Amino acid sequence: MTNALNLYLPQATTEPRWVRYLLISFTLIFLTLFLLLPLIAIFVQALQEGLTAYWTALVEPDALAAIKLTLLTAIIAVPLNLVFGIAAAWAIAKFDFTGKSILITLIDLPFAVSPVIAGFIFVLLFGLHGVIGPWLNAQDIKIIFAVPGIILATIFVTFPFVARELIPLLQAQGNEEEEAALVLGANGWQTFWYITLPNMKWGLLYGVILCNARAMGEFGAVSVVSGHIRGLTNTMPLHVEILYNEYNFVAAFAVASLLAVLALVTLVLKTLVEWRVHQQMQDQT
Amino acid sequence: MGIEIRQITKTFHQFTALKEVSLTIPDGQLVALLGPSGCGKTTLLRIVAGLEVANSGSILFHGEDATFQQVRERRVGFVFQHYALFRHLTVFENVAFGLRVRPRSQRPSKEIIKSKVNELLKLIQMQELADRYPRQLSGGQRQRVALARALAVEPKVLLLDEPFGALDTKVRKELRRWLRRLHETMHITSLFVTHDQEEAMEVADLVVVMNEGQVEQVGTPDDIYENPASPFVYQFIGHVNLFHGRLQTGNVRIGDLDITLDSHTEVHQAPVVAYVRPHELEISRESESTSIAVTVNSIHLLGPMVHLELLPQNSTEVLEAELTKEYYRQLRLQKGDKVFVKPRKMRLFMGGK
Repeated sequence: MTNALNLYLPQATTEPRWVRYLLISFTLIFLTLFLLLPLIAIFVQALQEGLTAYWTALVEPDALAAIKLTLLTAIIAVPLNLVFGIAAAWAIAKFDFTGKSILITLIDLPFAVSPVIAGFIFVLLFGLHGVIGPWLNAQDIKIIFAVPGIILATIFVTFPFVARELIPLLQAQGNEEEEAALVLGANGWQTFWYITLPNMKWGLLYGVILCNARAMGEFGAVSVVSGHIRGLTNTMPLHVEILYNEYNFVAAFAVASLLAVLALVTLVLKTLVEWRVHQQMQDQT
Repeated sequence: MGIEIRQITKTFHQFTALKEVSLTIPDGQLVALLGPSGCGKTTLLRIVAGLEVANSGSILFHGEDATFQQVRERRVGFVFQHYALFRHLTVFENVAFGLRVRPRSQRPSKEIIKSKVNELLKLIQMQELADRYPRQLSGGQRQRVALARALAVEPKVLLLDEPFGALDTKVRKELRRWLRRLHETMHITSLFVTHDQEEAMEVADLVVVMNEGQVEQVGTPDDIYENPASPFVYQFIGHVNLFHGRLQTGNVRIGDLDITLDSHTEVHQAPVVAYVRPHELEISRESESTSIAVTVNSIHLLGPMVHLELLPQNSTEVLEAELTKEYYRQLRLQKGDKVFVKPRKMRLFMGGK
């Protein structure tokens, strides 16, 4: 009874009604203008000339190649960053060592560096005039302006996602359950597999979703190392740009709509998983 | 033989947590490690479990050197202060964990695990809650599950870190008695850490009082209370009044009081501190040669006992006294009354101001 009443009673931090409505409507208008309208515009433009044109743009060989390359990049980059993220988060959350804060800073580096710079670093390293480029060229290994370069650049820009998500979760959970498992006779692998991994699975999934969204959507870093060879080194975002520059709006927006759908799916999954992560954090007691 | 702790030293960076601690835990006994926070008792327990490695010294289980054994080889049961239950597993799976992770050759069959876990759940009276998750249990229930989980692997020794620390008073008292009864039926060598002297006194066969990384005294609860070995133990176990005085060839002079001792006649001049428990102060309306005049400062009625705060003349140090309600009524004490107190018993320690 008292609880139900409390909902309607003003609290000390409650603002006057007009302030609340003003803030809410400002946020809504802003979101509509900058997020919702562009999103709708993508689909409107993509379907401008009907479903057939839309479909043709998607199954055209270069578009298919771009979709395939994007999937391939994600399939390689995400699992690698998953393993790396777990290792880094584990090391940071469960051990004490010198240089720990430097490691945390390094993990954040891709967030701080512009993706274009990230791509450029790889060109300087592996490019024909780069540090080890000539040697690679002599071995007939191509990295820059080829698929390996795209994958490397994608791994670089996406590696903080999993680690960043797991570190606070593991730190909050502490070591006690692992200690309990060891005392009960479990070995290191059993402890990880039966205790640590189940305890972090939602946080891990959350990190993977974000990592995947970025891996598929990355433009800047990939653009520098790709070379934009149609049907070979174009990912979906690069393909969209090329089509757009050729004034092929329907095709450009058709491929863009796929990325938009990916974003929406990511948002839904993120919200669901976020809720579970929150629950897992709550179970601390 | 039980557990033998030999000359264990442990430091964390600059801080010395344990200084050459040696201790023998007799087989089949329930022993309390008692001390204020930061005295090293939990560190010692974790070293015994193998969760922490000592800088030097050795640990023996039943005469066998376990110093360099891995945690999982030691076969200890450990109950954590915050239970450390596996949050994603049910009560049943929590208890079964230790059996499930055994190497295939030593692992019991599914049926045996099931009957064994059910037996333990019966012991902790939680058969109905076997499918619950830890978050759905109360603190006391969680602690019982933690205990059952530790017992499932048939440990050689049971180690408990502040097992009742996070529970409210009533549940704590219940669990304490339950642990005592459990120990009486199982007789497994057990060591538990506590900062609560009442808990140690009530549950343990033997109490080890620790302070600043060292063992101050080992004894039965009664022994510790009646014959504290050091001023620290005196102050840590129960309330105590301090009287500063001087020892002169078998005579103690505290304020206007003169007490003749049978011992210490060889000491000419030395400062002493006399320790007197609140219930060892006798209160009367009449003055005697060995009594101190005091004013009643405040009166607290606590169930069957009455606590008094007394202010001696020419002193600002308040004395605490404890008497039965009956006697208190007889005396008809009022706040502000002038009465006389006399120590019925006291214990002297050299030193002090």
